[in-house]
Amino acid sequence: MKTLGDVFREADPLGYEPRRSDMERQLIRRRVLDRPTAAHAGAMPRRRFARAAAVVAVGAIGAAIAYRSSIAVDVVAAVRFEVHLAEDTPAAGLREVAVSGGTRRVYLHEDAILTNSDIAHAELIAGRTAATFGVALTFNDAGAGRIAIATGRHVGRPLAILIDGTVVMAPVLRSPITTSAVISGDFTRAEAERIVAGIVGR
Amino acid sequence: MTANPAIALPGAPEGDGPRERLAALFDAHEDRLYRLARRLTGSADEARDLVQDTFFKAARSLQSIPSGTAGEEEAWLVRVLVNIRRDQWRRASVRARSAGMLRAGTAIYPSTIESALITKRVVWAALDVLHPRRRAIVVMHEIEGMSRAAIASCLGISAITVGWHLSMARRELKSLLQPHIGDMR
Repeated sequence: MKTLGDVFREADPLGYEPRRSDMERQLIRRRVLDRPTAAHAGAMPRRRFARAAAVVAVGAIGAAIAYRSSIAVDVVAAVRFEVHLAEDTPAAGLREVAVSGGTRRVYLHEDAILTNSDIAHAELIAGRTAATFGVALTFNDAGAGRIAIATGRHVGRPLAILIDGTVVMAPVLRSPITTSAVISGDFTRAEAERIVAGIVGR
Repeated sequence: MTANPAIALPGAPEGDGPRERLAALFDAHEDRLYRLARRLTGSADEARDLVQDTFFKAARSLQSIPSGTAGEEEAWLVRVLVNIRRDQWRRASVRARSAGMLRAGTAIYPSTIESALITKRVVWAALDVLHPRRRAIVVMHEIEGMSRAAIASCLGISAITVGWHLSMARRELKSLLQPHIGDMR
C-alpha cells in the first residue's frame, strides 16, 4: 500500500512541469534588484505575473544600437513585430539578413512564428542602465502555443526578432519560449515607449 | 560577435552595498525558495509571485536578515515566504478553489496519461486545505525528506510541534484523498 509521502511525491508538480529557464529567473532577479528603495516605494507600479503567463526573457545586449538610428521617432505609428526562426548558416529557402548593430548575418525561415496579433500585452521595463529601456511582451494563448512548439524544436539555434522589418536581435535559444519575452535592447525611453504603444493590436 | 547572449544579465554584483547583499541572497537562495513556493501553491505563477514578494520583503528588511551562515539566511527567507503565504491564505480564495477541485474530481480512471495527470492535480489540490505552515511542514518532511529537527530549527518551532502538525495533516489528507485514491499507509 502506498504511503501518503509516496502519493505526494508522485503528484509533485516539480516532477512533471517543465524546468524553469534561467531567463525567467533573471527577470525576477532584475525586478527584485531594480525595485525602488523604501524611500521611493510607490513610485513604480508593481508588476505581477499575469495568470498562466510564465515569463521567459529573451534578451540580447547591444543588438538595438544601430536600430536606434534607423527608426523614425513617431509615437503614434504602429510597430510591425515579427519573430522568425533563423539559422547561422545559409540553406535553400532561407532569407539572408543582417542583424542590426553589427556584422553578423542570420538566415531567416520564411514564415513568422509570431506577429503583432499574438501579443496580449507590452510593457516598458528598466534596461541595463538608468537611461536605457526594454520591452516585456506577453503572448496570447494562440501565440504562446505556436512559439512553444516552434522554439521547442529549435533550441541551440537562433531566433530573429524583427521590428519594422529590421532584425533587432537574434539570440540563440537556450530553452523553449512559452508565453512571454523581453526585448532588452538599449532603447531610449522614447523608442521603447513607441514600441510598447505601437506593438499591440495591429 | 557570433551569437548574442540569450540572457541579459544585470551586472554581477560587486562590493557590499544593500543591492549586492540582495543580489547575493537571491543567487544563493532563489532556487530553493521557488521549489518550496511551488509546493506551497497551486500554480507556477503563484509560486513566482510568492518568491518575488519574499525578496521584496527581504529588500525592505535587509538589516534584520542574519548574516551568519547560509542556513540562517535560508531559514529567515523560508519563514518570510511561509508567512506571506499564510497572509494570502487568510484572504481565503485559495481554500474555496481547492474545495471545488476535490468535489469535481470524484471520478478518476488512472489508466490513461491524462487522467493520471488529473489524479496528480487532485492530490495536489488536497494540500490546499492545510494551513500554509502545516503544509510547509508536510512538504519539507514528506517530499523534501527533511527531519523533524531540521524543520523545527528552520521554522523556529519545537520538534514536538512539527510532529503534531504532521500527524494532524496526515489525518486531514487521508480522509480527503481516500475517496480518490483509496487507502494509504
